[in-house]
Amino acid sequence: MRTAALLALALAAGCKNSPSSNRLRVWSMWGGDEEEVFRSVLRAYDPTITNLPSVSDDKTIRALVAGAPPDLFTLKDPSALGALAANKALRPLDDLFAAAGLKETDFTPGALSQCRFRGKLYAIPYLLDCMVLLYNKKLVQEPPRTLEELEELCKRLTKRDSTGRITQIGLRPPEAVQLLGAAGARFWDEKTERLTADDPRNIEGIRWYKRLMDAQGGNEAVEAFSAGFAEDMGSSNPFFKGLAAMEFSGQWNANWVFKYTPGEEIGVAPLPYPADSPKLAGTAWLGGNLFCLPREGKQTDAAFAFLKWSQTRAGQLTFASTMHGVPNQRAILQEPTLRTGAPWRPLFARFLDLADSPRASHFPVLPVAALYQSELTAACDAVRYGRKSPQEALKTVQDKVSRELEKYR
Amino acid sequence: MRRTAYLFLAPWLIGLVVFTIGPVLATLFLSFTDYRVLSPPRWVGLENYKELFTDTETFWPSLGNTAFLFLELPLALTIGLALALLLNQKLKGMALFRTIFYLPSLVPTVASSMLWLWLLNPEHGLINEALRALHLPTPTWLASPLWAKPAIILMDLWGVGGSMVIYLAALQGVPQDYYEAAELDGANAWQRLRHITLPSLSPVIFFNLILGVIGTFQYFTQTFLMTKGGPDKATLFYALSLYQNAFEFFRMGLACAMAWVLFLLTILATWLVFKSSARWVYYEGEKA
Repeated sequence: MRTAALLALALAAGCKNSPSSNRLRVWSMWGGDEEEVFRSVLRAYDPTITNLPSVSDDKTIRALVAGAPPDLFTLKDPSALGALAANKALRPLDDLFAAAGLKETDFTPGALSQCRFRGKLYAIPYLLDCMVLLYNKKLVQEPPRTLEELEELCKRLTKRDSTGRITQIGLRPPEAVQLLGAAGARFWDEKTERLTADDPRNIEGIRWYKRLMDAQGGNEAVEAFSAGFAEDMGSSNPFFKGLAAMEFSGQWNANWVFKYTPGEEIGVAPLPYPADSPKLAGTAWLGGNLFCLPREGKQTDAAFAFLKWSQTRAGQLTFASTMHGVPNQRAILQEPTLRTGAPWRPLFARFLDLADSPRASHFPVLPVAALYQSELTAACDAVRYGRKSPQEALKTVQDKVSRELEKYR
Repeated sequence: MRRTAYLFLAPWLIGLVVFTIGPVLATLFLSFTDYRVLSPPRWVGLENYKELFTDTETFWPSLGNTAFLFLELPLALTIGLALALLLNQKLKGMALFRTIFYLPSLVPTVASSMLWLWLLNPEHGLINEALRALHLPTPTWLASPLWAKPAIILMDLWGVGGSMVIYLAALQGVPQDYYEAAELDGANAWQRLRHITLPSLSPVIFFNLILGVIGTFQYFTQTFLMTKGGPDKATLFYALSLYQNAFEFFRMGLACAMAWVLFLLTILATWLVFKSSARWVYYEGEKA
């Protein structure tokens, strides 16, 4: 069924003539209010640009296969970047980057490394997301620096009512990859170009996940409790309500907590690290909204001209001030307009600082990144639910994903 | 004459060839290739099939999960039939009861999945609230690898009204004189059910069974929306795994191989049901 639909779409898209006008066509992931913001950014740059909102990566990929891609597009899921680059669907941007006078040293290290595949630049982020530890100040006075301290807090902050039902947990179950990142995970060996899923650090990371869940009454109890959580966006946000005293989350919370609560106070700290690895202090986990150009674009120069503008002070601030994302460049991170003014700005500034931490990491760019992340999550689940040992679970990931990676050599 | 007929058939025929048969045959070819969607397929022979059959982490568990879902078929059949029998009584206000039991099957899958996500919520869900009020143990449903599949079966049984209505229609087609004759001969209610109702309904049971078998193999939407295969792969059904390979992991060749395995399994299962039907399906005018 789906294959049929795919082919049909490919055919339909292939039949279409290329647009006669030379207006720049952009496909972007943003919808709703965010679309409005992005539209105003585009208008500020060039009112004739057309924007297709709420585009899924799936749709973009079909357009690329059909040979009818837009001039510029966003990737909603950065884990698709490696696969697109490895299959030669994207335009390498190094020459354009240099010709535009952009300097790598102006950028925070994490900003561009998450766009690089086999040494080449294949994307430029508009804004970054910076995931760190958030804590509810009513419940946590001093944020935990180490995972050991976090475990202690989890034990202490997990509350039950008279019938034994959980009413509050310490840490909301984070994404497996983020906790692994906090524990100093090694996903990939740059030198040998080998996958390192079963690295002792990763084994330790998964073990930490289980320990943190056990500290809060066991994995299943925590899962059941957090299944009752309402959506994050809005006044019922479970973290703001104190149902979970801590969570791993991003900079948008700075604005939200002022918008959605009457006066809840939250604190921001780097991700906690294992006590025996103090050099991991200051870890943050990065994500981003990546912009890419198709390999055979008709308006490469015009498309990159917009990208270049998006990296200017005006381009970054127009978007960052309303989208609550983290700018890419060191100088812009220091902008007073991002740090002062509205009451939530000082809190937001904490995220800006952590995004430039030397320990700001992200998942490696690999052609198999989506499969790899999904398998790591599955391995973490298998350990959390007590079906496998961490070694066993990660060995499975190593074997399966390595085999898939072989196909790209 | 004949040529004109083809002209009129052409829109449908072209559609069938271009949009159904063509792609189906294409998937057969692609199942023997390493196809990552973004670059041209590369012939790898039986590699994809070999990978599937040796994959004890995803392929076999997904097949096992799907097999578990087959438990739903006898349950749906029994409950659907029992409801139909009850709703076939001559009582006042029966039309209302029929509507009530049929109604859930009209709710779109997406809406009912969202609804059941809340009903099954281990914390605030109506089901656990009720169990708690009765001092019964409260499973954590979709948060538990043990209970997730039973929870999904429970949810699906709520929509049993669709097959119930078919049974009900068939029940009303059973000639009354059979029952009268049986009663004169002293047959009790059970004997009438066993020897008149069930044989008369057997073609309809057969029909529902075939649809059920195919639907179970293709089970997708609910778990895609509700659990994404979790917890711990407990609801990773075959079609969901196929979808992930094709559209999330860029493994279209492997996904095509999965599609063909699924196709062959469906044919095999349907054939078995058909083959068994000679023994238990009766059509009017046929000798038992």
